Amino acid sequence: MIWQLIVNNVMRRPVRTVVSIIAVGVEVALVILIVGLTSGLLQETAKRIEGIGADIMLQPPSASVFLAFSGAPMPIKIADRLRELKYVQAVAPVLLQFSSSGGVDVIYGIDPKSFREVSGGFVFLEGHDMEGPDDILVDDWAAKAKNVTVGGTFRLLDHDFHVAGIVEHGKGARLFVPIATLQDLSGSRDKASVFFIKNTRPEHTQAVIDEMKPIFPGYEIRPLKDFLSLMSATNLPGLNAFIDSMIALAVAIGFLVILLSMYTTVIERTRDIGILKSIGASKAYIMRALLGESILICVIGVGVGIFISYVARMMFLSSFPTLSILISPDWIVRAAVIALSGGLLGASYPAWLASRKDALESLSYD
Amino acid sequence: MLCGVKICFPSYQISKQSESSGCGNKPFHTSSKRTGSKFTRFAGYGLVRKGNRDYNNPACRSGLTHKESRVEPIVVTENLWKLYHAGKVEVPALRGVNFRVLPGEFVTVMGPSGCGKSSLLYVIGGLAQASRGKVLVDGNDLVTMNDSERTKLRRHKIGFVFQRFNLLPTLDARGNIAIAQHIYGDGFDPHRFEVVTKLLGLTERLRHRPSEMSGGEQQRVAIARAIINEPKIILADEPTGNLDTQNSEIVLSMLRQLNKELGQTIVMITHNPEAAEYSDRAVHMRDGVIVDGIPAD
Repeated sequence: MIWQLIVNNVMRRPVRTVVSIIAVGVEVALVILIVGLTSGLLQETAKRIEGIGADIMLQPPSASVFLAFSGAPMPIKIADRLRELKYVQAVAPVLLQFSSSGGVDVIYGIDPKSFREVSGGFVFLEGHDMEGPDDILVDDWAAKAKNVTVGGTFRLLDHDFHVAGIVEHGKGARLFVPIATLQDLSGSRDKASVFFIKNTRPEHTQAVIDEMKPIFPGYEIRPLKDFLSLMSATNLPGLNAFIDSMIALAVAIGFLVILLSMYTTVIERTRDIGILKSIGASKAYIMRALLGESILICVIGVGVGIFISYVARMMFLSSFPTLSILISPDWIVRAAVIALSGGLLGASYPAWLASRKDALESLSYD
Repeated sequence: MLCGVKICFPSYQISKQSESSGCGNKPFHTSSKRTGSKFTRFAGYGLVRKGNRDYNNPACRSGLTHKESRVEPIVVTENLWKLYHAGKVEVPALRGVNFRVLPGEFVTVMGPSGCGKSSLLYVIGGLAQASRGKVLVDGNDLVTMNDSERTKLRRHKIGFVFQRFNLLPTLDARGNIAIAQHIYGDGFDPHRFEVVTKLLGLTERLRHRPSEMSGGEQQRVAIARAIINEPKIILADEPTGNLDTQNSEIVLSMLRQLNKELGQTIVMITHNPEAAEYSDRAVHMRDGVIVDGIPAD
């Protein structure tokens, strides 16, 4: 019976109800998309780095697991020292350069030969490998996003590159240029940001790491099989705070809208509250009726939010193919709980206010 | 349409007890213009001869003789005061009201606007807290009760009928009646629901919302809601105040029928002397006190 009252009350003001549902939906979608975008990007990046096929990664001391944040402080000669180690089959020095012109990109400066030895080589969808200093390789997703064709010109870091080939995605970065060219462009002559090491057998990884540690004290030496687990928001400084802030903002939107909506509901329905009290409805009953309305709005809002999230993801991915948005069931549940909690919290004060209303005064309300 | 279905209400049993208690409850035929031909009334319930009163006895001050007062009243107010606050000024609405209602009685409270009759009804119904004095409803002292306790009492023992019907606009007639059952806590009782709605001629209007019903129909829904949980008392605040003559007669006849056939105790406020004729006795109020208790006929 109380649900009949709740449903009918919610339907009484359709515009207000729809606005409240949309607000909760936006809240849910914001949470799902922000988390999905960050975790999607992190996971996709991690998979690409794992896709290089190396066993170990060497970075300078205190370097971040997020390669884009690494500078280039290591001499490239370290590669030669690494090649001397037992069980090391190949070493690929890579210089990383962050570029924000025409989109956010991480460019890999590679030596094609050593990179091929470590990664097993690119899968070319079009064109051929880098041959000249101004050649660039673009992966298929980036090519689609940037409308790049083989033989065309790609302007990057104030330099015109010649698109030599389009390769299958999943080998570290989306853009590859010769390391020497990138060293020149970034002023990092004879420097590398990271060394990818391929062992003769994967089981030798620990032995190689043990051998490397005394030679490169303080350096970050990471086995790549653990890389995926390292690429989480907790390892990226400030990312968690950003996600938390965005979630708080989303919750605040939902909370305030529900608070305002339920507050006006209580004011508008003062007489109804008086009627319920006159027939013996307890404070708890009245609170339950109002909180029930909020729950109903939130539940529908959660459904709308999930729908918005998938539609938004579809639209984002069609406009920005290089983006990766990971919508996980885990975060759908969390977003739903967050929205319901916010909604309940927002409705609590109006519901409490309603339960405290004087029956007689409420009955006289017009 | 009145169907005259007999239901075994607890209050009916009370009225039967009253009949055999030797308190002057012998049935007699009223000479009331409206009710005389239809209803057999119980003489003991407040039909008072002025010369037979003891004004030191609260029961008699409220319009009962010594003999009649031997029946345990279901409502008792003694020296009841109700003060409202307008800023720092205290405005007394009730000034020491002594009032008694016996089980199965149909009492009308009359008086000019502002005389305190609504305040009296709301205090008896627990909607307002008494400022001083004593208010006993079925043995429960409302003065000592907090808001939650009074709400509980209202839920279980009192049914309200208001002038403005006070139906929930979002529920249809069925919902408006059923919600009282739900709040009562026993869940929906389809048998009782059917009996009550049939009794009040609402069977065909159950799917209609208040906005789709006439005033008379709305008031009948309100009466159904009031009696659905078999309350000890129905408190009606000008139940015909918003109705035309025809609907007023229907509603008053129904109240009368509930009282007569089911032994339902009713306290009704009205301005209308004709409405008062449906009751067993009328009590007049002025300036916050009961000034007399005269027979309705």
